[in-house]
Amino acid sequence: MRAYVVGGAALKIDRHFELGYRDLAYRVVKDCPECSEVDYVIVSSALPELSAHQVDLGTHVVQWIGRRVPVLRVESGESSGLAAVDVAASLVASGRAGRVLVLGVEKVTEYPTYTTNYFYSLTLDFEFEVLRGVSPPAYAALAMKELMSSGVKRECFSGWAVRMHENAMRTPHAMLKFKISPESFRDAQALAEPLTLYDSFAFGDGAAAVVVSSEPSRSDSSPEIVYSGSEVGLPAYLRDRVSDLAASVGLLRRVSEKLGLDLRKAAVELHDSYTVYPVAILKSLGYLDERCDLGEFEHLNLSGGLKARGHPVGATGVYQVYELFKLMTDGLGDRTASAEYGLAHSMSGPDNLSRVVVLKR
Amino acid sequence: MRLSPQQFWRVRENEYRIFVTVCGSCGRSAVFKRSACPYCGSSDVRYVESSGTGVLESFTKVYYRRDSSEDDLPKFVGVVRLSEGVRVVGEIVGVRGDELREGMEVEAVLRRYASDDPYGVIYYGIKFKPV
Repeated sequence: MRAYVVGGAALKIDRHFELGYRDLAYRVVKDCPECSEVDYVIVSSALPELSAHQVDLGTHVVQWIGRRVPVLRVESGESSGLAAVDVAASLVASGRAGRVLVLGVEKVTEYPTYTTNYFYSLTLDFEFEVLRGVSPPAYAALAMKELMSSGVKRECFSGWAVRMHENAMRTPHAMLKFKISPESFRDAQALAEPLTLYDSFAFGDGAAAVVVSSEPSRSDSSPEIVYSGSEVGLPAYLRDRVSDLAASVGLLRRVSEKLGLDLRKAAVELHDSYTVYPVAILKSLGYLDERCDLGEFEHLNLSGGLKARGHPVGATGVYQVYELFKLMTDGLGDRTASAEYGLAHSMSGPDNLSRVVVLKR
Repeated sequence: MRLSPQQFWRVRENEYRIFVTVCGSCGRSAVFKRSACPYCGSSDVRYVESSGTGVLESFTKVYYRRDSSEDDLPKFVGVVRLSEGVRVVGEIVGVRGDELREGMEVEAVLRRYASDDPYGVIYYGIKFKPV
């Protein structure tokens, strides 16, 4: 049986101090007509036990929005959203469900940023990395140093950030809807040298929904989920180079070959928690030379990416799939993508795990 | 942020000493005492205790603030290639930034990781300092 994306909705990613997990979930479903008649719900979230003292979030969300259908909560760190879509596609393809609501929801502003930074750091190995003082931006900085020592210029990373902020200006639900200049990096706050705040994703609360169905919508424009899968990489400290993102690169290469998909022509959402990661991936795939010219890519992170659309950790993958769905159907804001394929890529940690979901028109 | 004394006690061998897991199947080695080889999955492994010395391959000066840490920021985090040939990541202490160099010889030292609160349990573990 096939699985199609037939609808969805997304809330603006922001500091929603007045809204909790259940409120965010309710609001996004209320804005989504296709979300009403479903026979299964998958809730995607990475941090509720830490940030809201809530176990079994899926059940509590479904009770709150007034549904009486089976529910499963999926957690896979930063890649939770794509994992949830993967599970939904499997339920539909196997016949276990006919119409699944995938609901990504996350709160990152319940505590001061330094506490949320600790929660986010737990995507790394607690005993072998976090206790030892290692954090996600430290790895990103080490990866950036490696690439810079092999000839990649600093402007390559800042160029990515500038482009993401420009893209986010036209994304209705983006968090950072303002432009930055390459010059602004000179005064940006350092996170871990040479990485700055402007190289980092934006933390925001958010909720997004997509509906995965065994039947396309009546308009017959529903993109089909033609691939969903993942690959586990080595811990960063066991690799010869931290910037060697072998799980992501290998998975993207294999999926592209299998489907005959050209990343330069497809609508692509790459995981860019830090600017160094998409640069490392595209360089390894042979798409980036020393000029770091991304001009060949027709629809690359049109949302603004994690960098500027924002990164509500466990919900981000659902945002990515929703954005591809909109680009391939009636438009994301004022933009559409004529691409045959839409590809969402997500990592948890510095390529500890890589996930890909592919939609086909 | 409260840590679990039981959890910390359980992992004491990997926090107070440095072991290297050597795989009898694929022949590769990895830092920490592990049940299985991270490269090939074999359980045919043996353990060698590291001398604790090595070379600083790369480092970064970190300003990123987060909970559950006794760090005075900024601090240094680096990748160390141990004398046994495997890499490990950790904090580099006892040095000013302008003294650190890639290729510098370092050695493991026992330092404070974190504490539950001013009156709680203090957790110690491995960091590195220049030789």
